[in-house]
Amino acid sequence: MSDDHTSEPSPSGDTGSLLQKPVDRRGALGMMLAGAVAGSQALGACSPLSGETPEEREVKVLAWREYIKGNYRFMTEEERAETIARLERLAKLRGGVDVAIQGTEAQPGVVFGYAFNISKCKGFRRCVEACINENNLDRRAATQYIRIFEMQDGEVNLDEADATFQHEVPAEGHFYLGTQCFQCADPPCVRVCPVGATWQEPDGITVIDYDWCIGCRYCMAACPYWARRFNWSEPEVPARDLNPNQHYLGNRARKTGVVEKCTFCIHRTRQGRLPACAEACPTGARVFGNLLDPDSEIRWVLANKRVFRLKEDLKTEPRFWYFTD
Amino acid sequence: MTHRRVGAILLCLLAAGPVSGCRERPRPERGASGIPPVPATTVPVDSATAARYARLEPGMLGAVQAMPVEGWAGPGARPFEVARRSAVLEAGHAREFGRVTLPIALRAGSAALSQYPCTSCHAGPRLVMGKERIRDAHNNIQPRHPEQAGAACSTCHAEENVETLALRGGGRATLDESYRLCAQCHFQQAKAWAGGAHGKRLDGWEGRRVVLACTDCHDPHRPALQPQIPFRAPQLHRTGSPRDE
Repeated sequence: MSDDHTSEPSPSGDTGSLLQKPVDRRGALGMMLAGAVAGSQALGACSPLSGETPEEREVKVLAWREYIKGNYRFMTEEERAETIARLERLAKLRGGVDVAIQGTEAQPGVVFGYAFNISKCKGFRRCVEACINENNLDRRAATQYIRIFEMQDGEVNLDEADATFQHEVPAEGHFYLGTQCFQCADPPCVRVCPVGATWQEPDGITVIDYDWCIGCRYCMAACPYWARRFNWSEPEVPARDLNPNQHYLGNRARKTGVVEKCTFCIHRTRQGRLPACAEACPTGARVFGNLLDPDSEIRWVLANKRVFRLKEDLKTEPRFWYFTD
Repeated sequence: MTHRRVGAILLCLLAAGPVSGCRERPRPERGASGIPPVPATTVPVDSATAARYARLEPGMLGAVQAMPVEGWAGPGARPFEVARRSAVLEAGHAREFGRVTLPIALRAGSAALSQYPCTSCHAGPRLVMGKERIRDAHNNIQPRHPEQAGAACSTCHAEENVETLALRGGGRATLDESYRLCAQCHFQQAKAWAGGAHGKRLDGWEGRRVVLACTDCHDPHRPALQPQIPFRAPQLHRTGSPRDE
């Protein structure tokens, strides 16, 4: 992409010079939009009647630049830093909140894996609560990434299980099984995305560029584990509940018409911390770690416990195992 | 040590009739029973771990005290550490796991005991540990462990010093080393705990491995986790199927 759109917009930028330079479509759009914004700025400066404050104007410029940016996956480091700076500034201008968006890359030699102890889980849903708070999930639509299924003893069919139980738990004769995004090694959701807005990172986390997603929901149809969530309305998180520790590919602000999902708390786990669900679990049912480290706890569980995965026959190779005591 | 002694003296002075026996009786020195005192230093953390802790809220894990689990090995025969309970750690957990009703108030770690030492009452042969005493002084303790067999206080607590744990072979362990006692019967859980399949690791998946001890999650007098009302259910708008979002 051309760098021109990042330079300070000048009101004198005319389309004549634009046509003489070899620019791609997106770059040209950027220059024109920057010119338009600059024009309105010039207008505002000489006409007090426009009623636009400098902040409103800045929001407009930043929003335009965000609108014409590229896919995060193919951005240079510089472009990534720029979009993160813009998003942080927009959060400040629009919501009055100071957020810190990181673009932390995957660590070499790390592939994340998760193990879930169905003997231990008691269905308290504290993981769900922690997930909502940590990942800035839409409070109005009450989005939840994690589902805890109440299963009859001896039952393994999720279609027969109840995810909406609301009574004192654990219930007699039941066990509890949690699902979330399994970060499959061969993710069908990635294959079906028509625009490349979702991909698998080197550490195994499947991520979404919310600004590249067109909201077609193919990925939701493709996911055999019902792990993806769609924003039917503008997500709402009260400023006082907002988690300011964010990642571009994780829990930063989403918008209407885009898909989101669990990222194993990418903003935490890439810094060596545990996902919020694992940290919040009061029963110790959740084990998280590096699958490539033979001395990790997750590897110990895989080597010493009886484990299984959901719908293994689909060969999506989920990196999420269930085990019993 | 000085703090504990001052606290004990104050408690004894304040105590009325029921514990008047404390006053005239000299308090035995801790460690007199032959138990080596627990090293009270914070284990130095490597810089990566320190940097990670620095990002956490102060008072949560930044001040965690840990001690190596000697004679035990984690995955890959690596050594690991167990968190020492202290007032600071308990406050942190109250925030971290507070809504999860871990039996925080019942966790009497060695450090917390400095404020209310058992030995201010249980200091001699006059106050023997028996079930009948529980109803008087420890009415908050409802022993449910083990369920089937009748266990006395002295099954786990050392007679000569209630603040220590009595191991089967006659050995002694501090209250922070509950895993040494519990593992004597619950050897399978202990194996899973050392391996990482049971219990909780604090803070991170990499670097220094600090885990919680048995009695950080389990009330030793009533170890089963108690039923709770769960966090709110998901709103599955149309069909109620988990597919529906």
